[in-house]
This record gives sequence, structure tokens and C-alpha cells, in this order.
Amino acid sequence: CDQGFDELNINKTAALSVNPVFILNNATVNSAFTTGSVIYETGIVQQMISPNSGVLTGANFNQDSRDNTVQNWQKYYRNVIRNSQDVINQTQAVASRSNLYNMARIIQANAYMILTDSYGDIPYTDAEKGYTNQIFLPKYDTQQAVYAGIIKELTEATAALDATKAIEAADVLYAGNIALWKKYGNSLLLRAGMRLSKVDAAQAQQVVAKALQGGVMESNADNAIIKHDANYVNGIGNMLNATEAANIYLAAPFVDYLKKTNDPRLKSIAVRYVGAKSGPEQVASRASTDPAVQIGMPLGFDNNTISAEVTKNKLASFYDFTQVDRTRMVKMTAPSFLVTAAQTQLLLAEAAQRNWVTGTSAETYYNRGVRLHMEQMALYDANSAVAAADIDTYLKATPYVAATALEQINTQYWVASFLNGPEAFANFRRSGFPKLAPNPFPGKSIKGEFIKRLTYPNSEISANTVHVKEAIARQGADDLDTKVWWDK
Amino acid sequence: QNRISGTVTNSADKSPLAGVSVVVKGSTTGTSTDGSGNYNLSVPNNVTLVFSFIGYGSKEISVGNQTRIDISLSESAEALNEVVVTALGIKKEAKKLGYATATINADALTENRTPNFINSLQGKIAGVNISGLGTGPAGTSKIRIRGQSSISGQNNPLIVVNGIPIDNTNFGTNPGNAAADNSIGVRGGGNTSDGGDGLSSINPDDIESMTVLKGATAAALYGSRAKDGVLMITTKTKGNGKGIGVSFNSNYTNETPLDFTDYQYEYGQGENGVRPTTPNPTSGQWSFGEKFQPGMTQVLFDNVTVPYEPVYNRIRKFFRNGSNFTNTVSLSSASDKGGFNLSFANMDSKGIVPNNSFNRKTINLGYSYELSKKLSFSGNINYSHEYNKNPPNIANQDNSIPTAIYNLANSMPLDLLEAKKFNAAGNEYIYSRFQNRTNPYFTLSEQFQNIVRDRIFGNISVKYNLLPWLFVQGRVGQDYWSRDQDYNNFPTGQASIAAAPAGFVNGTYTQESRRFREINTDILISGTQKFGDFGFDFNVGGNKMYRRSDLNSVLVQDFVVRGLYTVMNGRVKDPIYGLSERAVNSVYGSAEFSYKNVLFVNATARNDWFSTLSPANRSILYPSVSGSFVFSQAFNSVPTWLTFGKLRAAYAEVGSDTDVSPYSNNLFYGINANLFGGQPVGGSSGTTTLPNANLRPMRTAETELGLELKLFDSRVTLDAAIYNKITNDQIVSAQISDASGFITTLINSGKSQNRGFEMLLNLVPVKTPNFQWDLTLNGSYNKTKVLSLLTDTPGERITVGTHVFNGELRQVVGQEMGQIYGFGFKRDASGQMMFGGNGIPLRTDDLISYGSALPKWNGGINNSFNYKGINLSFLVDFKLGNMMLSGTNFNAVRHGLHKMTLVGREGGVLGVGVNAKGETNTVKAPVQDYWSVVRSLALIEPVIYDGGFWKVRQITAGYDFTRFLPRNFPVKNLKLSAVANNVFLIKKWVDNIDPDSFGYSSDNLVGMESTGLPTTRSIGFNLNAKF
Repeated sequence: CDQGFDELNINKTAALSVNPVFILNNATVNSAFTTGSVIYETGIVQQMISPNSGVLTGANFNQDSRDNTVQNWQKYYRNVIRNSQDVINQTQAVASRSNLYNMARIIQANAYMILTDSYGDIPYTDAEKGYTNQIFLPKYDTQQAVYAGIIKELTEATAALDATKAIEAADVLYAGNIALWKKYGNSLLLRAGMRLSKVDAAQAQQVVAKALQGGVMESNADNAIIKHDANYVNGIGNMLNATEAANIYLAAPFVDYLKKTNDPRLKSIAVRYVGAKSGPEQVASRASTDPAVQIGMPLGFDNNTISAEVTKNKLASFYDFTQVDRTRMVKMTAPSFLVTAAQTQLLLAEAAQRNWVTGTSAETYYNRGVRLHMEQMALYDANSAVAAADIDTYLKATPYVAATALEQINTQYWVASFLNGPEAFANFRRSGFPKLAPNPFPGKSIKGEFIKRLTYPNSEISANTVHVKEAIARQGADDLDTKVWWDK
Repeated sequence: QNRISGTVTNSADKSPLAGVSVVVKGSTTGTSTDGSGNYNLSVPNNVTLVFSFIGYGSKEISVGNQTRIDISLSESAEALNEVVVTALGIKKEAKKLGYATATINADALTENRTPNFINSLQGKIAGVNISGLGTGPAGTSKIRIRGQSSISGQNNPLIVVNGIPIDNTNFGTNPGNAAADNSIGVRGGGNTSDGGDGLSSINPDDIESMTVLKGATAAALYGSRAKDGVLMITTKTKGNGKGIGVSFNSNYTNETPLDFTDYQYEYGQGENGVRPTTPNPTSGQWSFGEKFQPGMTQVLFDNVTVPYEPVYNRIRKFFRNGSNFTNTVSLSSASDKGGFNLSFANMDSKGIVPNNSFNRKTINLGYSYELSKKLSFSGNINYSHEYNKNPPNIANQDNSIPTAIYNLANSMPLDLLEAKKFNAAGNEYIYSRFQNRTNPYFTLSEQFQNIVRDRIFGNISVKYNLLPWLFVQGRVGQDYWSRDQDYNNFPTGQASIAAAPAGFVNGTYTQESRRFREINTDILISGTQKFGDFGFDFNVGGNKMYRRSDLNSVLVQDFVVRGLYTVMNGRVKDPIYGLSERAVNSVYGSAEFSYKNVLFVNATARNDWFSTLSPANRSILYPSVSGSFVFSQAFNSVPTWLTFGKLRAAYAEVGSDTDVSPYSNNLFYGINANLFGGQPVGGSSGTTTLPNANLRPMRTAETELGLELKLFDSRVTLDAAIYNKITNDQIVSAQISDASGFITTLINSGKSQNRGFEMLLNLVPVKTPNFQWDLTLNGSYNKTKVLSLLTDTPGERITVGTHVFNGELRQVVGQEMGQIYGFGFKRDASGQMMFGGNGIPLRTDDLISYGSALPKWNGGINNSFNYKGINLSFLVDFKLGNMMLSGTNFNAVRHGLHKMTLVGREGGVLGVGVNAKGETNTVKAPVQDYWSVVRSLALIEPVIYDGGFWKVRQITAGYDFTRFLPRNFPVKNLKLSAVANNVFLIKKWVDNIDPDSFGYSSDNLVGMESTGLPTTRSIGFNLNAKF
């Protein structure tokens, strides 16, 4: 009575497997940053904020809004880690795909670093074992253990990449180029090492040295970039061109810093719709990218109390403040930079300044880093390019000063990590730079001066209750104040 | 041998009765009356003739030496010999049944009708809970028989037309709900309209009768399809007399949108206590402005200055009156050999949203014919063409007319909003910083959706009498539909979507075609034998079911030519194709023993084999046993007031065939439609549910006991049942940690228990020749408890769905099914509310329970009065004992429309309670921030309500004009009725909305109200004429 049933129950429009490199591409393209990072991380480091509440509540008011804090969790676990783990499962025993296996480990390490930096303790050893091991509610690992795992994975995977083995040409990040993948892996390792500078300087130094020895990113051609297109758009670009087009502004501390230092990048990044009294009036005819007219939105106001600041700055309305230019730097198809040569060189500058690496001076690394980021502007949009002469002028006018090097390097790192919210947030917590005044919003829900981590998703509290409570008991309250392990 | 002839008439109106069985008592010799009520029969001497007819009391006449016997039969109120259509279309005498059924008179469906006919039965059937969803005229209907049993799967009953199941897939707005086959959510975002269900293609005028098989035993012969009971619909297959009878029915109703809002109109549009005073304000969805004072003005759009004053009656101003106009013509004929019924019907519905309409044309042909004494056949074919134009988006925060209208700032003039729907460039004029709260007039003007369904279903049945007591019957039935749907849910120019790149205009457009086919082939051998006091009936048979559905869909985004919505014109194109197939093969049988016509025992068994299950789990047996005892006829001396009395008991095990989808045994991979960087992107990431190869369908075991009484010449009639239903092996879609790689997993371990009783009490308090008062009370109580999920540990839980932002529906072991959970106000040990340093309420550490969203009580009270042909009836119905989370109130609170936000408008809200240190809170919080906690903290306690209600559901007044018709007038029968539906809300608990409107048509997401259309009151007439 069941003749033909086996054949009938085979899905004729899907496959039981596909080439795992295509799945890695899925993980890669999903590594781009979430829109939630604009509401929290980018706001915490005072680069962009909104005066509006509701869906935009976050760092602007120093309040907990779990719809936004959840975004990193969902995006990285559901997409990046799931797909990279699928690739790892499919390739770990396949010698001919060893490069793919190791590439997947690097993509995954990148995602885990964003996750643990955001939340602290997270599921790691038991994660992504729902299908393979029927682990539906994974336990949480300490951040220390997660970092140990990330460093181990990056070290092993990067070392194991081998140009003599099969090349994964269908890879969308580097077309399988082993040299570039090694630089990416080592640059991530460098980032992981530096992250531990406060909590375990000895290990940090050791990891950094190993990364440098392996070879890190040195040119913008080495950058790990998601080159968004019409079908795979830049999520932040989409947000800032659609529902939130008129609701998010460059923050005053960021604009003021760039203005004060005559930074040519301000012209690449910013636009002001002069005289705009509303969102609809933010039209091309009002657009000015002239650095002199840029006015960042001060922190600490809602869309009512901001009106005094509007008057003080002689603006037409809050819609008249400076925004990131959504026709250039955050257009729908603008690239997402996961790890850049600029960031890498600036981290090396700090390492050199700390005497953790030798051979090249901190100043050299610093100048390279700043120059690379200014050159990187052209990669967002041709109209954002910074002229070489302007770079030279800038470097001459704001030279490296050894006495305040850590502040100078990490402030540059802050600029170089603009639009990479998770990294800017992590490095701000680690280094303490740039020196920012706390957001004075009167209705904040945090006890301290700055948000120190993001809160766990409601879904974990609801479904994975026991394990998330273990993590909370170990790490501290599930709020925005609790510091993560490397930030203690 | 004597030749006997005569005429059988209806005792009431002396009209001839066709098809009356005339049988020599104790033999198989007999005949039936022809279309004129005449019969002719040769009989031996000194016999007794038994005249019997469905719905009429039978009579026995001793022939003696008579040659002509004219008799009249009375419609039997007792229905002692009432015949009921049971599972597989087998007709049985009601008194033999050991389980509960309810038979619905066709008038209940046609007189006071609703576009989806089933909604007209709300509150009328004991134990059956029917809800329309407030989603437009072509919307879906939710039917629950004896409560919801499935923790996370489907709960709608099986629909059977003339013995063969038809499809009732619903195309609702189903957040996170995948249908039986393929997911039926729509693509491209922005479309949350209700695309209707399968029942809506039935024209109620074609229905002859309907039986509800309530319990598992009644439905047991449907095995794996019987979990939620069965609606057995019998359509007309012949007329009432010789020649061509023509009947005409016309029904018109006018629908008035009902406004239940009771918003604050003291403070107007604006935010943070400030009204708009400069051009292009974006507070259009906020009413946290200034206190209205005479002479104040506000500046809206491009410097339009208008008075700052309340704008009342938004619902009536935006929505129009809807209407439904149905006309049916049917032709029918009957002879002693058979007959036919052919009907044509047209229904035009205008929805209350001004661009929404629904048209349905149906043609139905039913026929039956007796080729010889041995061979007969019958069949029916139903064709429908439905065009659902612009079903509105509902139950969603964004891009939805109802949400935008219900939340609109309370001083926004609607005429201005309409006049300013476009800006100079022809795009949406932004009026709110919530750009996704699309201007409803822009939506009305620019958004379209067309759903066209062509459907043909029917079956052919051939019956052959092998022996006088044994027949074999074969049937083939098919339900086929194609459904074309296209929509532009983000029209060009909509503010909530990003501008297109240079050279293009923005917008999205989706075009889909679906096809569905289900074929059922069955065979049945049926016999009946009598040995003295013992009777024996049996049926054996088998069924093959094959179902296939497929989908072509193309979604495009951004256009070259403005206003041209075609897939070719799109810049980004995303096509998909989906195919799903499944089959179930079954064999079944039943045996029934009777003793002296007072004691009946029936046993059935069905075995199903499923294509969707792994070979080891594939074969499943579903047994049942039932008995009935007619005690009123069992003893020689029963009191005279006891007209009829019966006890019944039943036990059955049935299942579900829809909960294991095809291909759910494996993780399947796909390739995205578009390359990225010139390379394919693949993965299984479309699947958020972790597959489980060992799933079994769930299984329900139900025990029921029932009592039927007719007392005092049927002036009092009672039918009551209690039941206990255990649903095992439920497939639990458990929310799991995202870190597992999936969001949910399917596990075969859920167990729930439905316990309840239902009763139908008919009283005839007054009965005189000219006046009769009928009082019908039906009521049911059902409580569904979750016994286990992954384990049976009390408190263990899963989440089956979430509200738009906040709150979720959980199943919790040891609690009633459908618990609403969400964060509440944090309170200290002494119960005082706690506030943060900023004066804003703190939320509880965990989500807390607010009770079950499933109604425990539902029923209706119908009073019907008949005075000299004037009939007046009114129905009050109720649902009680359910909680709801109101999304409409959630928005009303955070947008400053709800009256609870009036406190603290000046100077802030001083929360009564303590701060974290336990000191009395002294910090005033700005009112807008204070109430934003429903969103920012998902603190939903302020918007949890009791979802129950009492309503005057229907009023019908009718008059039969037949008696005034001249004898030779072509019209033989004329009846006119005035009808009203959803007449008056007697009692409710939820603010600002009708508790009946709940938006989601998702099968198991209940109690999560999210703004739907206003409900309507309909008033109209029904005219029925026979020629």
C-alpha cells in the first residue's frame, strides 16, 4: 500500500547537497554589519545618533531596546555561523577541500568575535550542533574560552591554508587567493590579540607577534570587503536610504573631531541638507559636502529637546544637521569592510608603541594606517576619493606624537572603523579612546557613563533559560552596564 | 397478490412527497413514490406497508383488502428515524449513532448569510467555535470543533463535499506559519492581506444539508484526516418535482464599519508636548502634543495652517459602507429515476476599504439517476471563478491601512491627508517620521492586488446493488484550482522604501501562479442483514489520495518605466518555483450490530499509509468503537412524557495527515536566484526549522458520552455530550536557541488534553396554532491542557508565535494551551511597582504569564417566534474565558491616543511605586517616554485584556407570502426576510476594538490581536422565490 512513496517524497526542486563553497559565500555575504549596529555600536562611539525614540531607541538615549540588541545575535548565529559550520562539517574530512575548510574557520572566527565582543559569554563549543548532535539549547562558554577558541582556530586555519592545494575560485571574498586569505586570517588574529591587551597583555603580545610574523594586510587590495550589489544590498545603506533616511545624523563629537583636524575625510563622509525643515526637504539641491558647513548633532537630546540646539546652531530644524552621505558612503550598494589594512596597520602602530613588535616604527605604521583609510574612501564611491596631496597635507599638519600615541592611534582607529560598529565599539572599550564625554541624555537606563555590552535576546531568555542564566550569574546582570571579560 | 396504489402527501401543506419509501413490512419488497407522490405496488394479501421518508415520521398501514391507500406523513419533530450523513457519505439513522453530530438546515446558511458561508453559523452549533477574522469579504474563517487540540499545527476540520474531501488551504496573513504543503506566506514583504480559504468558493444555495461530525468517533473513518472533526456538506442532486422547477434567491446586505475607538481628544498631534508649528512636521502618527485650546492652529504638510482641534470619527470617514449582493438561479427536476439541480450564482461584495471588492461566480450541477434496479449513479460538479480585488493589508505595523488609520494623530484632518498624499515629484508625501506608516490614501491610490481563482471540484459515484442487501460503490473526486495573484506591495514612490538608483523608480511587484490538485478514488462495499432481533451492517473500502501543488513566482524590484508593473520592467528579478507532492493510501471497514433496534454497537478501523513519513513509521491504524442505547424504546413502560431517550458512548483514535510536510525528513539545499560577485550563493538558510526524519503524525484518542432526550412531545429536546480528548505525539515546533543554527525544531512528543462538554437545548415554551416560540440554547465548555512537550516536566514550554514586537504565545506543560506571555511591570516583594532612576517603569526579569488565549466558553442563545407565517429570530452568542494581547492598544498607548496616556501630560508621569533602592519614586518621567516602554521594553502588561464578549449576532425577520399567491400564479413559493448580522456588542472588555477582530489568520496564533479592519454590522434582505 505504499508503492512509489519513497520516490514521491524526494524534493524535486532542491538538492541534498551543494558545493560547499557556495554555502561559504552565503556566510561571507551575511558577515556584513547589521542595522542594529547603527542604533547601538555606532551611537555608543558617538559617530551617528538619532533624536527619535521607538525603533531608534538605543545608544542615543542609553536605553535598552532588545529589538536592536538582538540583531548581531540573530544575524551571525543564524546565517554566518550556521553556514560556515555547515561548510566545516562537510569539508573537515575532505583533504581536497582543505583550503575551503580553513577559509570557513576564518569566516566563522570573525563572526564569533563580533558575538562575544557584543554580549560576553556566548554559546561556542555547543553551538551549531542542532542538526549534527541534536543540541537545541547550547550552553554558554566564558568569553575567555571563546577567545581561546578564536585564537586557536585563526592560528591553525591560517597556517593550514596552502596554495599548492585546490584553490576555491568561486569564493566571493578573495576568489580563493591563498595569500590574501592568509593576510585576512592573520589580520583577524592580530585584532583578537590586541583585544586582550587589557586583560592579558602577555598573551596579547604573543598573539600579535605571531600574526605579524604570518603576514598581515598592508594595502587596500588586501581588505576583506563585501562588495554589495543590487541583489545583495548593504543593509545599513538600505536603512539609511529608506525608513530611517531622515532620522539618523552624524554625531557632533565625530564631526567636530574631523573638522578640528581639517580631516579631508569629512568631505568624503558627510553631507548637510542646508535649511532642510523636514525629511522631504533633504533634497539634492540643498546638499552641501563642504566641510566648513557641517554641523554634527549634539548628544543627549530627543526630538523635542533638540530644538534648543537647533536654534543655537541657527539651523532650520534637526533635519538640517549633518548626515553620512547616503548617495556615496552608505549608498545601497556601498561595500562593507570587515577587516581593513588601515585598521591592521593602526593596530600594529599600537603594538609597536607598546614594544610588542619590532622592526618597523609605530610612526610608520600609524602613517600607513591613516593614509590607507583615506585612500579607502575611494572604494566607497569615486566621489568620496581623497586626493593624495590632501593626505600628505593632513599627515604633515597632524604628525604622530609619541607622548600621546595611544590616544592618537586609537582615535584614528575610531575613524577608520566608521560604519564597522562592532569593531569601533570594542576598540573604544579596550583602549578607552577616543576620549568621549558621556552622552548626557537625562533618561538613560544605564548606571555608568557608557554602554559596555549589549543585552541577550528575549528569545534566549525564553527558550535557553537555564544556560543564559548560568552566563548571567557568572558574568553579571544582563544589562548594558556589565563589562565583558577583556574589558574588566 | 394485490395491486396497491396511492399518493403520499405532506400533512402540513398537502404537497406531494417524492421519494417516500413504501415497503412491505418484514421483506425487501417495496418501491418509492414518484415526483407526484404516487406509488404503485403489488403485494401479497394481509401485509402491512411501511411508509418512511427522511425527516418525516414513518407510518405503518395494514393493507387488508384496500387497493388504494392515500396517506400523509408529518414532518417529524422527534426525528426518531432521522437520517444523518455520516463519514464517507454513508447515511445512517440518527438513533443508531454512538457519537455526537449536528445537522444544519440549509436555511441557516442562506437566509442570514455572510460572504464566507460558514461565518453565518457563528454561535449556532454546540461545541463549534467559528470566527471571521475581520480581513475583508474574501477573508478566511477559523473553525474549531471541541477546541484547539494541536499545540502548533493546523486545527481546521476536514471539509467533505458529497463524500469526497476538498481543499481548505488558507492564504492568510500568517506570520511564521507554514501551511500543510509549501509555505503559503507571500513574498517580497509588505503583503499581509488575507487571501482567503477554500470554503469561500462554495455557494450556500447549493447546499442541501450539512452535518458536523464533532468527535473522533464520528470522523473515525477518515482516519488521519479526522483529528479536528469533519464538515460533511451534501449538495443538491435533484429537485422536488417533475418538470423543471426554477427557484430564485436574492440576498443583499449593507455593511457598516463599526467604530469602537474611545481615544483621548484632549491633547492633539505632536510629540513631547509640542504641536506642529513649522512646515513638514513628522508627528502625523503621534498625539503627544499640546492641550487643545480654542483658536490654536497647527502647521501640516507644506505650510498648511489648520485649526488645532480634534478630528473625530476617523473610522467612518475613511472606510465606506460595504455591501454583498448575491443572486442565485437554480433549475431542478426530479423523477422516480433521479433528477438534477443546476444553479448559477453571482456574488458581488464591496469591502469597506474603498478599493476592495470580491466577486464570485459559481455553477453547480448535481445529478442522480437510477439506470436500473441494480445500477445507479450520481455526481456533482462545482465550478467557481473568484476575483478578489485589493484585499487590504492587515495585522501588520507597516504598510497597512488599518494600522495607519487607527494610529493617526487625533488632530490630523483626513481630507488634508488625502489631498497631500503625493509630493511634487508624485511620490508619497512624508507625514510621519515612521515612514513605514504609509499614508493610507497613498496606499489606497497606489497599491493593488489581484487574486483570481478558478476552481473545479466534484465527483462521480457509481453504485451497483449486488444483492438486495449488498451494494458496491466506486467514486472518483477531484479538487483542482489555479490561483493567480499579483501585487505591488511597495508601490513606486512609497516613502518607506529606498529610492532606486539613477535611471529607475522604486517599487516592488510580485506575480504568482499556483496550481493545486487533489484526487481521491475510493471504493465501498456495504451490506445489511437481519437475523431475528439482531441486525448486522458492514462497510469495507479503500481510498487513494494524491495531492500536488506547485508555484511559479517572480518578484521584481525597481522599475525602468514608472507605473508599469510587469516583471519585465523590473531591475532586480527574483524568481522561484516550488513543487510539493504527497499521497495517502487507506483501507477501512466498519461493522455494526443492533439488537431489537434499541441497542447498537459500531466498530471501525482505518489504516493509512503516508508518503511523507519514513518507511518505518508509514503505516498507521486508526480504530473506533461506539454504542447507543435507545432506552425510551427498550422498556414496555416508559413515562408518557418521555418521547425519546438515548445514551451513547464512543471511543476512537484518529490523527492528522497535514502536520508532517513533504520532504521534512532532510535538510535540503538550494541556490539563490541571483549570483553574487558572479558566483552562486547557496545554503539551507531558507530553512529555519531543524528537520527531523522520524516524525510521526499526531494522534488523538477521544472518549465521549452523550445523552439525547426528547420530552413532552418534543417540547423539550436535549443533546448533551462530555468528552475527553488526548492528542499525543504532537509535532512540537519548539523554539530553540539561535545558536543551534535553527530557530525552531520539530519534535514528536507533545501531548494535550481537551476536556469539555457541549449541549444543545431546544425548548418550545409556547405552541399554539398561530404562535410558536422556540428557544435554543447551545453552549460548550472546553479546556485544553498541555500535558507534555519535550518532557512532561511542569513549566516546560515552547513558544509557538510572537506578536509584532512584544509578547508571545507559549505552550506550557501543566497549563492551559495558548498562554500569553510577556514582560510586565516589575514589582517589589510588597507588590509595589518599581521604577528606574529616570522614573520609567522597570520590567520583570522574565516574561510572565497572562493566561490562556483560547476561549473556554462559547455558545449562543436563539429565540425564534412564529406568528401566522411571520418569523422573527435573534441570536445572542458569546465567547468567554480568553485573554488577548491587543496590538491596536499597544500602538494607541505609545502613540498617545489611549486614554491611559492622559495622566502626566503636564510635567510628566509620577509612577506610584518605589525605585531600585526601595524608596518612594519621586522622579517624573516624560509622558511619551513613560508609555514608550510597551515598545522599548516590550512591557505589554498595559495592553493585556480579557478577550471575551457577548453579542447580538443575528436578527432575522421573515414572512412567507406563499399563502397570498393566486393558485395559477407562476410563483409557487415566496419568502422575504430582513436580516442583520453582528448587530450589537452587549459586553466586551478590550478597549477600542471589537474583540472579534483579531487579524491573524494563522492557525494557532490566537490572542495576538494586531490591527485588523473594523468589524461591520450588516443589514439586508433575502428573497426566495420558487417557480
